[in-house]
Amino acid sequence: MSTRRFIIEPRGLASPWLKLLVPIGSVLAALVVGAIFLALTGENPFSVYSHMVDAAFGTSRSIAETLLTATPLILTGVAAAIAFKMLVWNIGGEGQFIFGAIFAAGIAIWLGDGAPAYIALPLVVIAGGVGGAFWASIAAVPRVYLGTNEIITTLMLNFIALNFMNYLIFGSNSPWRDPEVATFPEGRPIPDATRLPEFFERLDYGIFIAIALAILAWYLLGKTRWGFQVRIVGDSADTARYAGIGVPSKILGVFLLSGAYAGFAGGLFVAGPVGALDPRSLALGLGFTGIIVAALARLNPLAIIPVAVLMGALINAGPSLQSIGVPTATVTMLQGAILIFAVAGEFLIQNRIRRPEKAPKAAPSSGEEASPA
Amino acid sequence: MNDTWVVELAFAAMILGTPLIFATIGEIMTERSGILNLGVQGMMLVGAVSAFWATYNTENLLLGLIAGLLAGAALSVIHAFTSVTLRVNQIVSGLALTIFGTGLASFLGQAGSDPLVGNPSPVVFEPIFTGGIADWPIVGPLLFGHDLMVYVAWAVAGLASYYLFRTKMGLALRAVGEDPASAESAGINVSAVRYAYVMVGGALAGVGGAYYSLKIVPTWQDDPIGEAGWIAIALVILASWRPWRAVFAAYLFGAAERVQFTLQTLGEPWSNIPSTILAMTPFVLAIIAMIVLTSGKRARFLGAPAALGIPYFREQR
Repeated sequence: MSTRRFIIEPRGLASPWLKLLVPIGSVLAALVVGAIFLALTGENPFSVYSHMVDAAFGTSRSIAETLLTATPLILTGVAAAIAFKMLVWNIGGEGQFIFGAIFAAGIAIWLGDGAPAYIALPLVVIAGGVGGAFWASIAAVPRVYLGTNEIITTLMLNFIALNFMNYLIFGSNSPWRDPEVATFPEGRPIPDATRLPEFFERLDYGIFIAIALAILAWYLLGKTRWGFQVRIVGDSADTARYAGIGVPSKILGVFLLSGAYAGFAGGLFVAGPVGALDPRSLALGLGFTGIIVAALARLNPLAIIPVAVLMGALINAGPSLQSIGVPTATVTMLQGAILIFAVAGEFLIQNRIRRPEKAPKAAPSSGEEASPA
Repeated sequence: MNDTWVVELAFAAMILGTPLIFATIGEIMTERSGILNLGVQGMMLVGAVSAFWATYNTENLLLGLIAGLLAGAALSVIHAFTSVTLRVNQIVSGLALTIFGTGLASFLGQAGSDPLVGNPSPVVFEPIFTGGIADWPIVGPLLFGHDLMVYVAWAVAGLASYYLFRTKMGLALRAVGEDPASAESAGINVSAVRYAYVMVGGALAGVGGAYYSLKIVPTWQDDPIGEAGWIAIALVILASWRPWRAVFAAYLFGAAERVQFTLQTLGEPWSNIPSTILAMTPFVLAIIAMIVLTSGKRARFLGAPAALGIPYFREQR
């Protein structure tokens, strides 16, 4: 390539505006892609989208449901962000979410009605985190001590966790299974003392716990010595080693913390809206969707909160599409498109594009000319 | 003799393994060029729905295969663009491709006034020989009792193996995956090679998906392939990036998938093992294989391309 129309060069620090513009642009671009497919199949994209907004925010009930779905997404989003920031590719949020739910429901059933709520509830939520960290450890320990690639192990552990949950409810007479329902196996309802109280429609206090945990993650990663060391390891393991930071223990810590956050999500979901280890309500892909949330929020735990609400809205709008004869899979397609544009948009944040003849200092204001949309 | 459960299991394992062979060899070619594509599941699903749509409307299996192949390749271009041209994170991009492809396949199956979902395919892949040599004991059904695609998979494995290790083009492909800077010095266009093999991977994943919707699950449903795309990514490592080994690894996983049905037919005590536990078999097998094979520096000795997953910046050499 002797003559080039554009020169691409790494950008130093991207402006905060660009960091905000790229995720918003990703969502808009995905909506355009979705609109094209909707139009090709004979639907009016505008009426479909307005129906979706209505289904997600139209009534106080739907707002509550959207925030209810956002609650676990905040935590699975933080789980992915913590790991990805350090280049730990934990794609096992789904399995860790399920094991959080299994542990949380297990301890709730074991406690029964005997313990008061102020003891029982924290125990249930913590058990969720322990369950998630435990499931992450199966991939984390080989990763840290044997160098086993974690992408495939965490992924396979998702499917094992899902089958294990099905085993507890459908395949055995485990304590998690409701002994009173004979027709179709269901999860045993957890005691009232271990349920999070509702305060707005079906919305429970779990959302505040999730927000508090997201802020805690932001503080841990951004403001503490531990977080500083973790960021160094993420930037360059060699530098970290040279600076005397124990890299293996940092990777293990981050991996387990990531699993714990996904597990918290499962615990809160059981103690909140679901109230049992119910495979049909728990296997919605909330753990996997956390990856989209994290990427769109550019791995920032605070930005994850509004992004999780957006993604919760999208998920909740899905089933309502059926009533107007539009495929519910529109939602998955939009999610995938959002993630594609979000990851492609990283290019604009990390690089600057200019024409070779012009003055090199005149950078494009927003980089829109190379937008993949 | 041919009715014994062993022959039945092996026969079914070969059919279930066949789409895995296509997808795994496709991913081997992609990874050999240095690009990791976690979008296999998405490409297979889009291939499956496109193949089904084409065959549903034309009653022609070949057109279905071609549609699946082209659709898989078309979807993979997105990943080539993000990972080769934009050089952003390949892992997240691949996951995005899987989510988008899963949604798109399901969308296309549900959309329109006369949706595909719930409809059977008018034609499916049928065994080439019936009777005669296909009735010989054991080898009859296993070697001669299959449909064309089982043999095409063998041919693809042979061709890919020859291409990779015996041709100049194959050498260029491996060079790009091992050391792109040196490959470029030798006059190889790294970007073009990577684009090409990401698309080869997409095309073969699409063919694998097509075999699902035109043979294994020949009535369109939202998710006809299970977790095949993810299994294929694990099989690449189990096959240590070699096409022939992918055939055996794929049959092994086909057997692991099938064994739960086989045990049901064997009666007590085998049929008492819960199906939910048996359904874990392929994934447990994959994890054990991963820990044994890729720990430490072993992955490099196995044949992992040195530049796998690393974007190539020509300007910053």
